[in-house]
Amino acid sequence: MGKIVLRQLKRAAPLIFFLLSTPFAVHAQEVLRWGADPSGGAPYVFADPAHPDRYVGYEKEMVEALAAAMNRRAEFVPTDWETIVTSLQRGEFDVIVNGLEPTEDRARFILFSKPYYIFKLQLTVRKNEARIRSLEDCHSRTVGTLSNTAASRLMAKEGIPFKGYADPVGAYKDLELGRIDAVLMDVPMEMYYARDNPRLRPAGDPVHRGAYVVGLRKGDEALKAEVDAAIDRVMRDGTLERILRKWSLWDDAQAELQAAARTDVAAGEKKPDEVAYEITSSSFNWREALLRLTRAALVTVLLSFGAMWIAVTLGLALAIGQSRGPAWLQLLCTAYIEFFRGTPVLVQLLFLYFGLPRLGLAMPGWLTALVGLGLNYAAYESQVYRAALEAIPRGQLEAAYSLGMSPLLAFRRIILPQAFRIAIPPMTNDFVSLFKDTSVAFAISVWELATAYRELANASGEFLLLGLLVSAFYLLMSLPLAHLARRLEKRMQHGRAIRAVESEVAA
Amino acid sequence: MIRVEGLGKSVGGARILRGVSFRVEPRTVLGIMGASGSGKTTLLRCLNGLERVTEGAVECEDVRLEAGLAEKEYQRRVKHLRRRVGMVFQHLYLFPHLSVLANITEAPVQVLKKPRAEAEQLAHELLEAVGLKQAAPRYPESLSGGEQQRVAIVRALAMRPEVLLFDEPTSALDPRRSFELVAVLRRFVGQGQTMVIVSHSIKFLEGVADFLLYMEGGEAVEFGAKERVLREPRDPRTRDFLRQTD
Repeated sequence: MGKIVLRQLKRAAPLIFFLLSTPFAVHAQEVLRWGADPSGGAPYVFADPAHPDRYVGYEKEMVEALAAAMNRRAEFVPTDWETIVTSLQRGEFDVIVNGLEPTEDRARFILFSKPYYIFKLQLTVRKNEARIRSLEDCHSRTVGTLSNTAASRLMAKEGIPFKGYADPVGAYKDLELGRIDAVLMDVPMEMYYARDNPRLRPAGDPVHRGAYVVGLRKGDEALKAEVDAAIDRVMRDGTLERILRKWSLWDDAQAELQAAARTDVAAGEKKPDEVAYEITSSSFNWREALLRLTRAALVTVLLSFGAMWIAVTLGLALAIGQSRGPAWLQLLCTAYIEFFRGTPVLVQLLFLYFGLPRLGLAMPGWLTALVGLGLNYAAYESQVYRAALEAIPRGQLEAAYSLGMSPLLAFRRIILPQAFRIAIPPMTNDFVSLFKDTSVAFAISVWELATAYRELANASGEFLLLGLLVSAFYLLMSLPLAHLARRLEKRMQHGRAIRAVESEVAA
Repeated sequence: MIRVEGLGKSVGGARILRGVSFRVEPRTVLGIMGASGSGKTTLLRCLNGLERVTEGAVECEDVRLEAGLAEKEYQRRVKHLRRRVGMVFQHLYLFPHLSVLANITEAPVQVLKKPRAEAEQLAHELLEAVGLKQAAPRYPESLSGGEQQRVAIVRALAMRPEVLLFDEPTSALDPRRSFELVAVLRRFVGQGQTMVIVSHSIKFLEGVADFLLYMEGGEAVEFGAKERVLREPRDPRTRDFLRQTD
């Protein structure tokens, strides 16, 4: 009996092995999952403006050629540039193909293929800019670029103040609007987003010389060999040249890079890459990181307090307008409140940042975030105040009137202090949540605490330690706030409300 | 001196008061009695402009509120009226966020622009007169019902009004406290105060009033000196009311 089972098992073994390995093998042989950030990702990979649910780009075409050479099917996984390395490590895709530059810090976490493209950096300024002719002139200016790229690392090394953006569109738009003085970016992006813009012009010749490579997980040596071979093959058979020419990205540097691969065939032997490129690196400095986090925390505090001040003042006006104003004002206030409560704050910020300049009002990022959050929270605060005002018995007002008080005086001295006392707990709640909501400001490139965490952690890989540090920063700020609110509440219960209101609200 | 002439009040087609006329001489107390819904509280509220007159007129001292006044003029007159006519509400409506002292000095300082020291001096004197000398720094919620009521009276008196209106002052008081209240009020009348008191308690009004007005269905059924109205009411409705409540 036991023997039969064993024999049958033996006979079945190849089948079982086949069944177990098949999905794996099919998966590994047929699909090449590649990750890239398609938002503002032209000309690498981006949503086709003519068919927005389709992706196009020279790298997309290249990956398809590579996959064909590897006898696989390419599958695109849209991801986020800032977290692209961690996403690769987590296995969301097999390779990064996103204009990735080999750096020493990245080399600690991932493997690099051989280079497939040589890029340069181009400085762009406004058409009428007279002060800036090259990067040398930028030491006292603000230069925009993408975070965690060759350009940002180059400027950090040179000591040029720069502002990191999440995508090239925001950077060039801010340059147009005069929020920054110049933009330094990889030539492919500069070609696509700035070259044809009549209000911008390139300043000087391209500088630096870096390489784009494919990024792979550590340990995927076999896949790396496959990818390297595929790169050689698309270079040899001219496929890559055809793609790059189609996207106007072909130049002498590419010819030089590809010449090596092409001569390899002739020589029939493997030669080391002879095409030189520079590697930028950023060494992570904890002291500097702490300094930057402190600065970011101050921005967060400024945003919170500024926005809360607007929210409290405007919220009160809205509450009064909505509950006591004439019919048209009530309608207006209700419309405002429903609009700001019913649309995401992120959309509102993007609208204020990119939409308002069309109407001639261009505010810097931090002010936009401050005003945007203030306008948004005013809608919420107004409802807190309205509920608080409605909770005061009508008799309080009549008592004040019968003592000869005018409606305004009665409101200010009798109704408001009592309503304020009722409103403190929900207000505290809102303030703490506003405090955390300042993190949406990263969408318009304001360097507050959450943005700082994302950038520093992505640059260093220290997600855990930096995360704890940033949380400590948030708590360090929010705990005293909660304490302050509790004290205020107690103070109000003891009744010295009028003075409290006049010092807290009117001030 | 209060003069009410052919006073009427309608709200949304319902006539709450009709053809009410009477006078209150200075330094006297008028008691207004009547069942619930008879219009007595509305009448009282018309006397200081909390309700707007729709027919006839009320006149307190030299301020006259008549039906059909333009809004602006009405507000201007009400402003003058309220400095001369104080009110103590049934539910008192003390300001819970202010101390007893601040409850009393708030209006004199903010409305009459009296110096704070002077206002506080007067507040302390009045508190002493009603036996609440120690209560000045306390908050309303920590006082008993009777104490709260005396604070409300002092708050109204601190404006030095010529007329003081009371809405159901005994509704929250036990008989002993009601009796004490009579003594307190009579003392202020002795000092020259004119009062109008709405109450459903005939016993209380008998103790405190000089004149009585009986209201029923929004009409002034009977008006006269207290003794006369109580002993020989002319209208059978007054007679019925007095018999039922005793």
